[in-house]
Amino acid sequence: MDTPAFNDADELSGKLRLALEQAEAEARLREAETPDRLNEDWRFGRPHIYAKALVSALESDTDNAGRITIQAPAACVEPMADDMRDGEMRLRSIGSDKILALHLKRFGKGICLCIDTVLADPIIITYETEGVFTPSTIILAAEGAAARIIERHIVRGSGLLVATRDIKAMAGADISLELEVSGESTSGSDQPRAMNITNIAAMDAQVRQLTRYSGLDWAREETVAEILHENTTIELFSANRLHGTQILDQHTRQIHSWGKSTSNLLYKNVVDGSATATFAGNIYVAPGAHETDAYQANRNMLLSEDATINSLPGLEILADKVRCSHGSASAPMDEEQLFYLLSRGIPRHDAQMLVADGFLADAVTQFRGSESDGNNTKI
Amino acid sequence: MDSPATPSIGSTSPADAAAAQADLTPFTLDTRGEFSFPENHKYDAGYGLTEQTIDYICDAKGEPDWVRRFRKDALKKFREMPMPTHWAPESIRGVDFDKIRYYLAHGTPPRQSWDEVPDDVKRTFERLGVPEQERAFLAGVDAQYDSETAYNNMQEELRKKGVIFVNSTEGLRDYEHIFRPWFGKVIPVGDNKFSALNHAAFSGGSFIYVPKGVKLAQPLQAYFRINSESMGQFERTLIIADEGAELMYMEGCTAPKYDSATLHSGVVELVALKGAKIQYVTVQNWATNVYNLVIQRGLAMEDAEIRWIDCNLGSGLTMKYPAVVLQGRRARGEVVSISLAHSGQDQDTGARMIHAAPETTSNIIAKSISIGEGRASYRGEVKVLKGMKGCRNNTECDALLINATSRTDTYPAITVNGNASAVQHEASVSQVDEEQLFYMQQRGLTRAQAMSLAVNGFINDLVQEFPMEYSVELRRLIDLEMEDSIG
Repeated sequence: MDTPAFNDADELSGKLRLALEQAEAEARLREAETPDRLNEDWRFGRPHIYAKALVSALESDTDNAGRITIQAPAACVEPMADDMRDGEMRLRSIGSDKILALHLKRFGKGICLCIDTVLADPIIITYETEGVFTPSTIILAAEGAAARIIERHIVRGSGLLVATRDIKAMAGADISLELEVSGESTSGSDQPRAMNITNIAAMDAQVRQLTRYSGLDWAREETVAEILHENTTIELFSANRLHGTQILDQHTRQIHSWGKSTSNLLYKNVVDGSATATFAGNIYVAPGAHETDAYQANRNMLLSEDATINSLPGLEILADKVRCSHGSASAPMDEEQLFYLLSRGIPRHDAQMLVADGFLADAVTQFRGSESDGNNTKI
Repeated sequence: MDSPATPSIGSTSPADAAAAQADLTPFTLDTRGEFSFPENHKYDAGYGLTEQTIDYICDAKGEPDWVRRFRKDALKKFREMPMPTHWAPESIRGVDFDKIRYYLAHGTPPRQSWDEVPDDVKRTFERLGVPEQERAFLAGVDAQYDSETAYNNMQEELRKKGVIFVNSTEGLRDYEHIFRPWFGKVIPVGDNKFSALNHAAFSGGSFIYVPKGVKLAQPLQAYFRINSESMGQFERTLIIADEGAELMYMEGCTAPKYDSATLHSGVVELVALKGAKIQYVTVQNWATNVYNLVIQRGLAMEDAEIRWIDCNLGSGLTMKYPAVVLQGRRARGEVVSISLAHSGQDQDTGARMIHAAPETTSNIIAKSISIGEGRASYRGEVKVLKGMKGCRNNTECDALLINATSRTDTYPAITVNGNASAVQHEASVSQVDEEQLFYMQQRGLTRAQAMSLAVNGFINDLVQEFPMEYSVELRRLIDLEMEDSIG
């Protein structure tokens, strides 16, 4: 008698569904095109310069050269396995499927963390490169797990670091991620560049993220955070200082697929020189995700005549009993605050630095505050 | 629906026309949209837009050669330009340019009597308190007005002050020296596909010139312009307020406007010269089978002020983002917008403010209400150009969701160059508070009454910006909408 491949009809349909999902994801990435000016998610992003350069660098370079160091309990770290490719395939970008597809082609380097307890010490991951490096970070937090993760990216010379991040947090988990991306130029012609695509999926869990970019010629961030069960809190923070001709292009999605949850976002930038900061965020509340609380704020401080801010906060609400708001404000530095410092004998430049730092510290403080609140209840 | 009037368009058979209409409209039609009357036009350019159509329009209107060339160039641009499908609402894909008639004029008055107008339409008019004369006019029953003398007197008064108030054809023919220099300057042909379309096929609309220092106490209304084409499918309005002049212009009506045309693509250009003030009030209430794609933009010179007061109640899809280009020092722009989206409606409205001079200020206040499966969106752009100092913008968007299936979106885009300007944007989404409703209901109001009271409260401060007769009608209309959706 023939044994059926699957004994259980549910299992069969489950596997079929997975296969179908995988085929769809594959097709999506296969068909993706290099972002162009008609790609709304690259509006203000100058895709004809930056997306094009990124795509051609990822296509021509095959080395995937970079160093990884990690400081974490050995039990948490899993070697990168080929079957993890599946997860990466399902990652969602914000207008950069082509880049995801190229990243997937180079899959194999990175860190996979499986956290199932409460960790007191932070996990520190460092990615460094001078060439073209495309690591992946996978963070799986089991029920009740708690951890702080610090991810440092260092891009030297005209290197390019494109990282993806897949965070899944189960019931009762509490995950903090601090992402520091810095560029180190040795000569004036160096153009360190970086891009990060992060997906967060949280079910009855708490996840918070703080991103900080510095010293990069160009950086793009795409963060997709999805709430998949009630009683979830996702918080996203960012604080950056840009100067010279630096460009920072940040895109976020807060997706509420389930009601009775909260998401909060605060992105702050101080822009000097002829630098440009772009923020495009979106809160999506799915039909049926009632009793959602979602907030989004983008605050910018402009320090010079040639500095540019683009701010595109967005809301898409398809549910009822929702409390949602977004705000965006862009203004010069408060002259009164400056005057106060000047009158105390602090030189103008230093005074400006102090006010700017104070402005940015707000986002970092909120992140730390929420971090310690979360961990206190855990530990 | 028990409509006694068979839907019919022009010379085509009613069945064909109904089929064409059904193909064109992906909207969930509400019964009001199916209501139209058989028409008979002296001029009908037929379906689709070609060079021949343009020749036909030019011949019919007796236009000079430069207008003909202008239209044909625009047609070329229209064909080359892509649809804005990468950012616009999905339903814009339903527009089929080959199934549209581009010029209709001088129809013989439809011979319909008031008794044949569907009951629900009559009820709407009665509840809105639209005067009987206008009721008949709006229902397409009778195009005759008894009040022509009154309007004639008004025309005479305006003429004495040097005000020119004509339709677009007369404007370009009789006052070329005034209107041609500004025609298509605020909204150029190649601005977008629909701007090119309007430049190629425009007819109807008003051309207004208010001389230096003339301040008009009475608002100008599209109705007042007698013996001319009514608001057309491709209306073209150009208003020039010379230095220090002031005027208010009103178009539309709160009562539903029935029309067989399914695409309305207007262009409205305002020019406020030094110190001038223009207020432009629109109340749009097309039937829900209409695509309403309107480009409105004003140019404000030094110390000038332009205010758009915009209310969108009807149509299946509206895409309208009134804009002010603040071109002179200390110019001021303002957009006050109310939109109401019912099931089957997509109100994609918003505002644009371009700060192209120092010390310019702008203010945007938008409120939307989504009922049933309606979708209301705010889409806006605020731009402070390089080197402009002391510019200020304030944007507030509030949305109210009535049912669990309603949808609201907000998509602002803000660009600030330089460290001498301040821009702020805030948006919020909320529901009608259950406790408020409970309180009103236990005082004896029905749920629908309580709901409409709450909704009226939500837009109360904006409704006050509208001229009196409009604000009264608006309130009544909201009562009516609430009754239909809740009661």
